[in-house]
Amino acid sequence: MTLATFIIKNAVRNKRRAALSILSVAASLFLLVTLLVFQRELTLPPEEAGAALRVVVRNRVSLGQPLPARQRPIIEKITGVEAVTPFSWFGGVFKDEKFPSFAQFALDPKMLRHVFGEAKVTPGAYEAFESERTGCIIGKLTADKYKIKVGDIIKFTSDIYAVSLEFKVVGIYWGTIDDRNCLFNQKYLDEATGNHGMVGTWWVKVRSTEDMPAVIQAINNAFANTSSEVRAESERAFQLNFVSMWGNIKTLVTLISTVVVFTLVLVSASTMSMAVRERFRELAILKALGFQRRELFAFILAESFGLAGFGAVVGIGWAWLLYSQTRWAGILLGAVAAAFAANFLKLLFHREWLGAFLALLAAAGLAAAAKFIYAKGSIAGLTQNFMNTFDVTPRIIGFALLVAACLGVVASLAPSWAVVRASVVEGLKTLD
Amino acid sequence: MGNGIVVSIRGLTKIYRQGDIEVTALNGINLDIAEGEFLALMGPSGSGKSTLLHIIAGVDRPTSGECVVQGINLSLLSETELADWRNQNVGFIFQTFNLIPVLTAYENVELPLLLTSLSRRERRQQVETALELVGLADRAKHLPRQLSGGQEQRVAIARALVTDPALIVADEPTGNLDAHSAQEVLGVLQTLSKKAGKTVILVTHDPKAAAYGTRFVHLEKGELTN
Repeated sequence: MTLATFIIKNAVRNKRRAALSILSVAASLFLLVTLLVFQRELTLPPEEAGAALRVVVRNRVSLGQPLPARQRPIIEKITGVEAVTPFSWFGGVFKDEKFPSFAQFALDPKMLRHVFGEAKVTPGAYEAFESERTGCIIGKLTADKYKIKVGDIIKFTSDIYAVSLEFKVVGIYWGTIDDRNCLFNQKYLDEATGNHGMVGTWWVKVRSTEDMPAVIQAINNAFANTSSEVRAESERAFQLNFVSMWGNIKTLVTLISTVVVFTLVLVSASTMSMAVRERFRELAILKALGFQRRELFAFILAESFGLAGFGAVVGIGWAWLLYSQTRWAGILLGAVAAAFAANFLKLLFHREWLGAFLALLAAAGLAAAAKFIYAKGSIAGLTQNFMNTFDVTPRIIGFALLVAACLGVVASLAPSWAVVRASVVEGLKTLD
Repeated sequence: MGNGIVVSIRGLTKIYRQGDIEVTALNGINLDIAEGEFLALMGPSGSGKSTLLHIIAGVDRPTSGECVVQGINLSLLSETELADWRNQNVGFIFQTFNLIPVLTAYENVELPLLLTSLSRRERRQQVETALELVGLADRAKHLPRQLSGGQEQRVAIARALVTDPALIVADEPTGNLDAHSAQEVLGVLQTLSKKAGKTVILVTHDPKAAAYGTRFVHLEKGELTN
């Protein structure tokens, strides 16, 4: 036997409590990682490959204010500008849905391939989009979700304009950071609303990254002191500005994360205190046998650290697997369900009815969850396309591990102090 | 100690304070215990037997007076030094056995040796020897719950012996045992004293148990009465 063996045997002596402790740490850290990733996704949207060469021009007053269409030729003439397209939010509700579940944008079909060149489209989509006034190109995630295919007619009722528009799907796009949107012709929107003079924003493709600052400056200057002053900025800056509107949600998520960590510390400290109180006599015996205070402290710390560490591996690992390798997460959960099913049969054989019933419930629940996760296949599927990416970054993993490590130390402090402070005689007095 | 005295106690007093109340557990004890002696410490409950045993074994400190064991004044040792000293010089046997329930008999006996620099092989030799001495070599892989009370206490004796200490202290070791098991345990302690030359101090209420000793002393209200 080694001291490590001794610590491990002590840690798992009460298997149910050890398992529940590990699960509570794992569940809390899974929740923490989820919240941190969610917060990151909200505040730091992923960057599109072509974003470095795109400028977004919006009304200086607010994003909700439109811009006059007459600005376009002025922007096109600025040195360094390669292509310009209007980009107007339609705010349409699809079919009988109650709120917009994905975005629709009106743009210039001829400029699509120039401004958003990184998108991949079905063959002939660009040509059909340019030639058919009511045509639209739809993102693959949305097409898959609603089983929409090329040639279908889809209808939206706008929340902004008092119109409903029907589109013929002429193509499907994918390979961008957001494969959920529906893109259609600005002219169609203008005709339907009877408004030919206004657009939502301008999206500008710039020749090179070196030209970006000058182009942004030139666009801002071009409309200074006009009735429609603009704010031009890089796509990245625009996105960050956009998500900054989530400020309160960020605070809320931070608060919830803090509560999660605090609760985690309380639960773990309570578990460790119980474990040590249960063994107070034994620890006194160890002292009597010659174990030093620092060795007893190391035992308790190692046990606490081990439980927190194991919980961290399970919780963080599961978060990573679920969000990054969703199908594998489904397979793993399926394997766990199978293990419970096997246990159910074993318990049934031994006529342990309650245990068998609980094992059956667990197996059924886990199997259903496994099937659901495997079928959804990705974070987009799991969230009904609400989240497109959900990256458990090394930084978040590192932070969660640090929380677990601190948890291990903090949870062991109070019980260690109680053991270290108590004399051998005090411990021995509890024996007789 | 050249004169064969292992334990020398002079003017030993122990007073417990609980708030304003003072309780004198030991009052001016003078006692010498010779090497290889099997001393039975008797007295009614609350007479101070266990307190005296704890001070001799280095798990408690006197309020005044001195306790010298194997030439070392225990009052002068720090907590860390005292823990090391206990590991090397004292074997403990308790009334409730106090084996670690998740460890096998072998591992329980091995526990004090984890603090030494012995190799795994050397540890194994000592553990096997100790278990053989108490007649439990064939129970090495059993967990405490798989042993009878008498067997558990014999494992505890093996754990007390395994570091080869000069002094073995036993606090009511037969209190939880039936008559037959108690005889076995006392027989082992007697053998250790007679054949292995260990100094054994036994705290007991039971005159029959005390009869196994080579000498007995009686404590009454914290004072030796004979």
